[in-house]
Order: sequence, then C-alpha cells, then structure tokens
Amino acid sequence: MPLAPPSPLTDLDAQRASDAAAQPVLRARPGLVVCDECDAVHTRVPLSRGDVARCRRCGALLGRGHVVTASGQLAIALAALVFLLIGNLTPLVSLDLQGIRLTVTMPHAIALTWRIGQQLVAVLAACTALMFPAAMILLRLYVLGFLVAGQVPPRFRLAMRALRWCTYWSMVEVFMLSALVAIVRSAGIADLVPGAGLFGYAALTLLLTSITASGLHAMWKRADELGLQ
Amino acid sequence: MNSRDDAPVRTGRQLGLFSCHTCGRVSEAAGPVTEGLALHCPRCGTGLHHRNPRSLERAWAYTWAALLLYLPANALPVMSTVSVTGTVSHTILGGIHELWTAGDWGLALIVFIASVGVPIVKLVSIVMLLMTAGRQSRWCSRERATLYRWIEAVGHWSMLDVFVVVLLVGMIHFGPFAGVHPESGLLAFGAVVVLTILAASSFDPRLLWPDSDDNPQLSPRPPSHE
Repeated sequence: MPLAPPSPLTDLDAQRASDAAAQPVLRARPGLVVCDECDAVHTRVPLSRGDVARCRRCGALLGRGHVVTASGQLAIALAALVFLLIGNLTPLVSLDLQGIRLTVTMPHAIALTWRIGQQLVAVLAACTALMFPAAMILLRLYVLGFLVAGQVPPRFRLAMRALRWCTYWSMVEVFMLSALVAIVRSAGIADLVPGAGLFGYAALTLLLTSITASGLHAMWKRADELGLQ
Repeated sequence: MNSRDDAPVRTGRQLGLFSCHTCGRVSEAAGPVTEGLALHCPRCGTGLHHRNPRSLERAWAYTWAALLLYLPANALPVMSTVSVTGTVSHTILGGIHELWTAGDWGLALIVFIASVGVPIVKLVSIVMLLMTAGRQSRWCSRERATLYRWIEAVGHWSMLDVFVVVLLVGMIHFGPFAGVHPESGLLAFGAVVVLTILAASSFDPRLLWPDSDDNPQLSPRPPSHE
C-alpha cells in the first residue's frame, strides 16, 4: 500500500518543531542595557527622578528616571481623552465674512477635504491628527487601567504593539502649530475668533508630550512582573 | 554625561546579546546563534536581530520614491484660492513668498523650515547615511548617529503644510466669495513626508558602527601589551 504523501499541515508542524528545537534558550539579562542604535553593551544603573541615561558610544537615549508613575500616567491619559473630545467636538475657530458666520471643527475640515476630491490627503490628516492620537489615548487607558489594578490586560502584546505604532505616527504637536499658521494666514480674509477646540488641542499637546516621554518599556516590565503568560 | 568611560565598547553581537526594540528586554543566547535563524523575544515576540534584515534595501526604496515625488510636490500647486476676482493656484514656495511679502516674516520662516528646509536636509542626509553605511564606513560614526537621531526627531514637522491646507479648506468656504481648495501637489507633498519618515525608520543606525563581523578587513585591534 503506497504511503500518503505528508500533508502540508504536518510539514509545517514539523518545521515549527525543528525551529523550536534550533532556537537557543534566550536568558533574560536584566542587569544589562544594549543600545538600540549602536549595539553597545552597558551595565544598568538605577536612575533617580529626572536622570537621563545616554549611550556612551553614540549618545542615544537609553532610559529616563521615571518622571510619572503608572497611576499618574493613567490620570494624564484620562485628562488627554477629555481634551481630545473638546479639541474635536468644539470649534477650533469661528470666522465672520461680511455677515456670513462659520465655525470650524477638525472633523469638519477633514470631511470637506474629502468631498472636494483629495481623499488620500483627508485620510492622512484624519489618521495622524485624530485617529492615531485617539487610539493611543484609549490603548494607554486600557493597558494602564489593568496594570494599575495589578492585572495583565487580555491581548496585552497586541495592544502594546498597536500603542507603539500609534504613538510613532500621531502628530498632535505638528497639528497644533499648523492651526496657528492657518489662523494667521486666514486672518486677512475674514474676522476670526479662536474657539475652545484650539485650547483643547493645546492642552492635549502638552499632556501627550508628558506621557510619551516615559516610553513603553516600563509598562512591559510591569506586565512581566505581574506574570505575563 | 561628560564622564565617558575609556573602557573598550563591547557590542551585543560580540557577546551574543539581543536587545528587544519593542519591550527593552535584553536576552542572551545560551547556545551559538546560527545566521538566518529567526529568534523572537520571549517577552513580547518581536524578532531579534543584530542588524535589521534588508534595512538598506528598504530605506533606499523609500528614499527613491520620496526623491521622485519631491519634484511634483514642489512644482504642482498644493492649494487654490477662490475669490470674486478669480481662482489662484499656490505652490509650497509660492505660499511662503506670499507670507513673506505680506510681512509675516516669522511665519514665513517657520513654514520655510518645515516645508522646504527639513525635507531637503532630510533627503540629502538619508542619502549620505545610506551611502556611507553601504560602504561600511567608520567615518564620523558618532556625528552620523547624531544626524540620524535629528532626522528621526524632526521628520514629523514637515506635515505642517498638509494640516495647514486641510484647515484652510475647512475655514475658508464662503461659497463664491472666498474658498480654498486642496490641489494634487498636496498629495505628492504628503507622500514625500510619509516616505521620508518610513525611510528613516527602516534604516538600522547600527550599520553606522561596522565591526569585524560586517567586514573581515576591519579586524579587531590587536590586544595592547601593558
């Protein structure tokens, strides 16, 4: 009786098994720091508040003494959520041109850009100034909420990878400066009054700068201590 | 930070250590690491590499795409203004010129730096970094590393003009009296900004520090006789 050829599935399983066997054991070395930007190895030293550790070969940032605790970060993220809502739901500016009054919110400006025909630009602006900052704040609330309560949240790894990506691509601070430039440029065309949304975005910029400075490594470490898998 | 240790620098590759870029865990391979074997961080699952695979190829691809789009981004209008006297198109440089002649020098300077200065300096710098890293140059590694960090930090700011036009579109729409429309140059400009960010983030700055594993001709210094 001829033997059936091995199915692709078992092949894959066998491959995985041999990969696992070939993978050497990766021991944790918590006493060391390896520079992400030049691969230089350093001994870890405890940092106190406000300290900044830099690589002695290339000068890259290796770590900061913790400025904000996890529960403090949670509080800031909650405040950021409030200011994000204010920034997007209330007018950035109101304009007056010979009796015609207009109020502008960020979602409104994006929707107009979409309708006029630059859909890709609308998507780019919506993602970097609105969706990624919103996702970043919500993911921080989710992860920090669980960590502060002493638990590892479900789908922690996925949430943290998404958080890292959203943080990299969110550009609230650039948007803030753009709003000021846009206001000055249109001041000659219409009478203009800054709205609550502008102040909402200004506060959001400050809050996000203060929480993103701490980085995400401390959250991974905390989850590890709480028994991540 | 002035106290620089004089002890020779040991690298993760020499010692069999991997630092995870996602979670920061430092892992030590217990056995020999065969080239091409995929290692993953035990804590977060991210791939571990001493040099990111195909980093130069990917960075070059994004850079070429950005260089190609740089021309339409500056030659095509990024927006047009509608008024009772007619429709006027504006390029990036044209907009800066208008701000300058209107007397808003500070603003003209901010927009010039964000929209012209940063993209040009960034593209030239990335090309220089990719060329020197491709030749495994050891020239001014620390200065090139500083330049790389600077490029990574300022890249986002070029998005300024994209947001400005989107906001102006939202702010100025008074029917036939006054209106601002986005034009196709804006898409090219936004694409250049995104592509240069991708180019910088796919470049592995560890390539600025070649050692004897990258190039056998760079044999390690002979042990000093003390």
